[in-house]
Amino acid sequence: MVGYLVRRLAACVIVLAVVCVFTFMIFFWFSPDPAAQICGKTCTPDRIAQIRANLGLDQPFLEQLRVFVSGLFAGRDWGTGADAMHCAAPCLGYSFQTNESVTDLLIDRLPVSVTLATGAAVLWLLVGVLGGLVSAVRRDSLWDKGVLAFGLVGISLPIYFLALVLQYLLVVKLGWLPFPRAVPFTEDPVLWFESYLMPWVVLAIVYAAMYSRIVRSQVIDTLEQGFVRTARAKGLQRHLVLRRHALRPSLTPVVTLFGMDFAALLGGALITETVFGLDGVGKLASDSMATNDQPVIMGVTLLAALLVVVANLVVDISYRFLDPRVRRGTP
Amino acid sequence: MTGQHSPLLRVQDLTVTVGDGATSVVEGLSFDVGPGETLGIVGESGSGKSMTALAIMGLLPRGAAASGSVTFRGAELLGRKESQLRKLRGAEIAMVFQDPLNSLNPYYTVGAQLVEAYRAHRSATRRQAREVAVAALDRVGIRDPRRRADHYPDQFSGGMRQRIMIAMALCLEPSVLLCDEPTTALDVTVQAQILDLLRQLQRENSMAMVFITHDLAVVSQLAERVLVMRGGEEVEQGTTERVFTESRHPYTCQLLDSLPRLEPVDDRQEGLG
Repeated sequence: MVGYLVRRLAACVIVLAVVCVFTFMIFFWFSPDPAAQICGKTCTPDRIAQIRANLGLDQPFLEQLRVFVSGLFAGRDWGTGADAMHCAAPCLGYSFQTNESVTDLLIDRLPVSVTLATGAAVLWLLVGVLGGLVSAVRRDSLWDKGVLAFGLVGISLPIYFLALVLQYLLVVKLGWLPFPRAVPFTEDPVLWFESYLMPWVVLAIVYAAMYSRIVRSQVIDTLEQGFVRTARAKGLQRHLVLRRHALRPSLTPVVTLFGMDFAALLGGALITETVFGLDGVGKLASDSMATNDQPVIMGVTLLAALLVVVANLVVDISYRFLDPRVRRGTP
Repeated sequence: MTGQHSPLLRVQDLTVTVGDGATSVVEGLSFDVGPGETLGIVGESGSGKSMTALAIMGLLPRGAAASGSVTFRGAELLGRKESQLRKLRGAEIAMVFQDPLNSLNPYYTVGAQLVEAYRAHRSATRRQAREVAVAALDRVGIRDPRRRADHYPDQFSGGMRQRIMIAMALCLEPSVLLCDEPTTALDVTVQAQILDLLRQLQRENSMAMVFITHDLAVVSQLAERVLVMRGGEEVEQGTTERVFTESRHPYTCQLLDSLPRLEPVDDRQEGLG
């Protein structure tokens, strides 16, 4: 187990390093010159050169990369004399737009995305797994048809459309909920819940639709397995047949999927956050992309990569507990 | 033969239809099995043998329906509530399936699966049930059963897994055992061991056994009576001895002729000459 963990962690570090270098390459070669952007319309070549020197953009690629990476682990310093400032590790630089530390920005925004993703995940797992299970067990029933229809509609509906329609109905027309706002839980738990409820539901509908279909087909497949027939032939109660013999094998692939989806959302639900104006990592990403705020984009990308890599690791480790064959290393 | 015992399991005019009821895979099948007796059901694949067994268990796949009559100790099983059938399954009528590789759940230890079977019908603590499970594994010839009970199905060979299936079927001492091609997926040596085991266990428990197979050689070793099926219908039924030696039915003769023999070598040599 220890050897396995060490190997996996090493692999994670390599993946992150590759993502880091690639993102850096994209900005170095393919994006518009940030110095020209900062300088604005009335700009002289001298001024641009000065900005470039200040930002370290006049250095060769490898030198810039080295400074960036060492900033991640050891922090870095900007400027000289009275203007000098120190950016502590993990330093991701400063926003070109607002001059805020990218690390601080991410730390500031992350709780919103985490709250959004976690609430939605609870909802979609409940609805998706239960809906899919009942649908599979009562195949061709009215319930099953309902779940299939929900799946189709939920997958087809774009989030922004669903979000705007719900917001119009529940907030503007009926006034049941306030406009979503990133209220901290500690400030006002009730308002916190009311604010996040709609974003949770919107995000959950899309995923629940997908999960209910996946769980349904997984359970149907498993119910055809010989061991389910054995379980029934030995006279096991129906709920035990379903829970122990049908659901458990059906859910292991769902765990993989969930790990990926959840990690991706922790790194920002771009559309949902933007539509509802929630200041999470997703909104930060979309805002920074709109203004070509490279350090912020770089930070968001690295954070997303880190989350996905960690989720992958967690899923793989959890598999060792879920599936005895994986634990013993047999195929 | 049936005169000796009152039948434990009686199947009368059993018909199994699939789809919209238009296609019947078993039609008008009747047979009895008494305590301690073995009935062999033979026929080629697709002749409705397995469907017959599943209909008795009430475990027909989706879209299949049974009509006619299946009685166990005089009580009708067809059309009975699922909750009532559940109490009979495993405890009174047990079944061993063809594919031992897929019949055990890979997610649980074999011990846990035996314990589960036992506790579905008897009120026992986990510890007591485990003792029963270990004893059952020991009885079917699993060496070091106490340790092996904690192993997962994929740590056993096919033959061992079939032994475990048999242990699971027998741990509640059912009065009827339905075996659906239990040795087909196994190699010949293992097959002989499993058949010996079944014979021995049947003697000990004076259990009624329905043994389904396409293999006439197996039936001749095991069964007192044989039912030959083709296309869902009975071709003939009688004592094993009579069917094997005096059968006049052309289909049974064909089946018997299909058994490999050692004699035809001469014919081939003639052909070559």
